[in-house]
Amino acid sequence: MIKRWLSHPYVDLALKALGRNRLQTGLTLLGMTIGVATVLAMMAVGAGAQQSIEQQVRAAGLNQLTVRAGNWRPKVEDTGEAVAHQGDARDTLVLPLYRGDVLPVAFHPEDDPMEKHDHPLARQRLGDLEAGLGSAATLTFDDAEAIKGLPGVQYVAGGVHENARVHFGGKRWFTRMHGTDVEMPSIKRGWMLAEGRFFTRREQDRAEQVLVIGQIVAERLFGAGVKAVGQEVTLWNQPFEVVGVVTSATWVVRPAPGDDQFDAVYMPYTTTHRLLNLSKLNDITITAASSGDVSRLAREITTLLRQRHGIGDDQPDDFTVLTQATKALTTGGLPPSVARAVAGNVAELEKVTLEQLATTLERASRTMTWLLAAVAAVSLVVGGIGIMNITLLSVTERTREIGLRLAVGARSRDVMRQFLIEAVAISLAGGVAGIVLGVIAAALIARTLNWATVVSPLSVLLAFGVAGAVGIFFGWYPARRASQLDPIVALRHE
Amino acid sequence: MPLLETREVAKEYHVGDHIVHALRGVSLGIDAGEFVTIVGPSGSGKSTFMHILGCLDRPTRGQYLMNGRDVSTLPPDELARVRNEMLGFVFQGFNLLARTSALENVELPLLYTRRGVVKGSERRRKAMAALEAVGLTDRADHHPNQLSGGQQQRVAIARALVADPSVLLADEPTGNLDTATSHEVMEIFARLRRERGLTIVVITHERDIAAYGSRTIDFRDGRVTSDVHHDQALAEPSLR
Ligand SMILES: Nc1ncnc2c1ncn2[C@@H]1O[C@H](COP(=O)(O)OP(=O)(O)OP(=O)(O)O)[C@@H](O)[C@H]1O
Ligand SMILES: [Mg+2]
Repeated sequence: MIKRWLSHPYVDLALKALGRNRLQTGLTLLGMTIGVATVLAMMAVGAGAQQSIEQQVRAAGLNQLTVRAGNWRPKVEDTGEAVAHQGDARDTLVLPLYRGDVLPVAFHPEDDPMEKHDHPLARQRLGDLEAGLGSAATLTFDDAEAIKGLPGVQYVAGGVHENARVHFGGKRWFTRMHGTDVEMPSIKRGWMLAEGRFFTRREQDRAEQVLVIGQIVAERLFGAGVKAVGQEVTLWNQPFEVVGVVTSATWVVRPAPGDDQFDAVYMPYTTTHRLLNLSKLNDITITAASSGDVSRLAREITTLLRQRHGIGDDQPDDFTVLTQATKALTTGGLPPSVARAVAGNVAELEKVTLEQLATTLERASRTMTWLLAAVAAVSLVVGGIGIMNITLLSVTERTREIGLRLAVGARSRDVMRQFLIEAVAISLAGGVAGIVLGVIAAALIARTLNWATVVSPLSVLLAFGVAGAVGIFFGWYPARRASQLDPIVALRHE
Repeated sequence: MPLLETREVAKEYHVGDHIVHALRGVSLGIDAGEFVTIVGPSGSGKSTFMHILGCLDRPTRGQYLMNGRDVSTLPPDELARVRNEMLGFVFQGFNLLARTSALENVELPLLYTRRGVVKGSERRRKAMAALEAVGLTDRADHHPNQLSGGQQQRVAIARALVADPSVLLADEPTGNLDTATSHEVMEIFARLRRERGLTIVVITHERDIAAYGSRTIDFRDGRVTSDVHHDQALAEPSLR
């Protein structure tokens, strides 16, 4: 097809004409190539920045939702200290009091395991032991399965949570225990295995006594730099084999004592169920395939669970759907220093969510992308002026030829087409060369400057289209001028 | 009915404040198959008249009929079509495209036929036939700068012939050629008229070149001053 196109008399004509002014054509082509390459490379840099921000934001868990048994809401007061408030259902529901998720991140009241636990937060932590997990546990494994069926849901993991004292040799560490699902590592994008592996589906199905421990726990029990995998630790007087150590994979979150993620241990929820003789879940963690979907999913999950739990219209929910955004600042989705800075500088802290923060970051990077592209577009305009120049030159140089063509029967539109094809041929050739150069430039930038660059097929298509458009736009005026020539005037041109 | 007919055709140019009367009412009929030569002093309006005959220009006043149809008021695209299908032009300066082979030069009018672009192989065949008519098949691949003046003008004649026009218009086709070559070119015109019945109009300054015509028209100051039909015998230069 391309061959047929190239042999079309008009195209053939244009290529021959361009071949006659080889040097000028080459220089114009170079200008166009540089323009297109710059645009493409700048877009790649911008998109790369945008993507890495998106990845970090995702790693911070913005596409996550959590459904908790019971109906109560954490509320943040000016001090930043979390205080539990019972929700609408305070009179009708008995509530589990596990509070680990709303602890401030910066300190851990149980740093010394020998300390008497008389700190208020410590009491609350112990409180959920006393309250017993089953008392208000309204969520079941089947609920989790039902949520998995909703469109837009990516991963679902049910969880049971406990406070636990882990023993190794003479050392003890008081931490959080999470009975969870094998899908958890997919949900926690911010996770990285420092050592070993996560537990497997097989281990989960068999409710085996395997344990994945957080970085902080590993440091406290074994000391830094000591291999934890393969060790046997004791929990609830039961032996557990350590199979992996998790740590944070992103700068947004750093492991810290009391952070409930890396100061924590993980086992299959089936193992928890078996050892503690439980059958319900404390919560279900869900990720949305797209973070823009979170609000919609929250609504749908509410509807679904109300239906499954047979809750009438006038009754309050017996569960709470939390999105990461509503939770993030209070649970330490950010490093403590960042969280404190945000808290110190924003008057109405509770109105600032991580989602807004992310939106701002994304908007900023998008603005940067467009700014870069706009700067690059200037070089495209310069390239376009080059095309205009060579086309005008071509028209002037070939005025007699135009007169001759008109004399032998060319219409003004034939002449117009001839010069437009010439302009577009240069710009498209420049576009192709520019795309190649731009892709190479993006790769070089990525390698030498270590910046993330993303060349998307869309941006390549866009660059090609823009190149063609530049040819048409800047070729239009000279071509039109050529087509408006009077045959006799043109024939008499010197 | 004459093939070409002008009725009181006038052409005026506005140059600054005053008006130049290039043609002051010319009424002529040219029949199919005539070989007309136009002579006259410089600035007498010969070229202007030929441009109107060739539909390259429109008269200020008067009518121009081809086959009885008034073409002086046609829109530009229609005029282009008439030029393409009915007329062939030969210029004093040859007007060949540089760095383009003789064959491709001859093909040029075929790019603009209204029946759509003629296919490549067909174009080449027709162009070859036209080159053959002027005896230049062996120079088909040569570029203009590799050809003598006479050969270049023959290429130009082939180009004028290629689309099978009924009228051939030539404005001083021998102006840039030496005497011998001029006669060769005129012989070609005479032969084309004889063999194909082409109607031919040639402008010239030289009386002996004008003698090739079956009819000679004199222009002076935008008017026709004499219009002479020669004997058949006079059309043959050897018997002159
Ligand atoms: N575009 C124009 N603008 C103004 N005046 C013009 C124009 N074209 C021709 N003329 C004038 O019209 C008159 C006739 O010119 P034309 O070219 O027809 O003469 P000609 O007979 O062909 O002369 P020559 O033998 O020198 O070619 C001349 O006086 C010329 O100056
Ligand atoms: Mg003249």
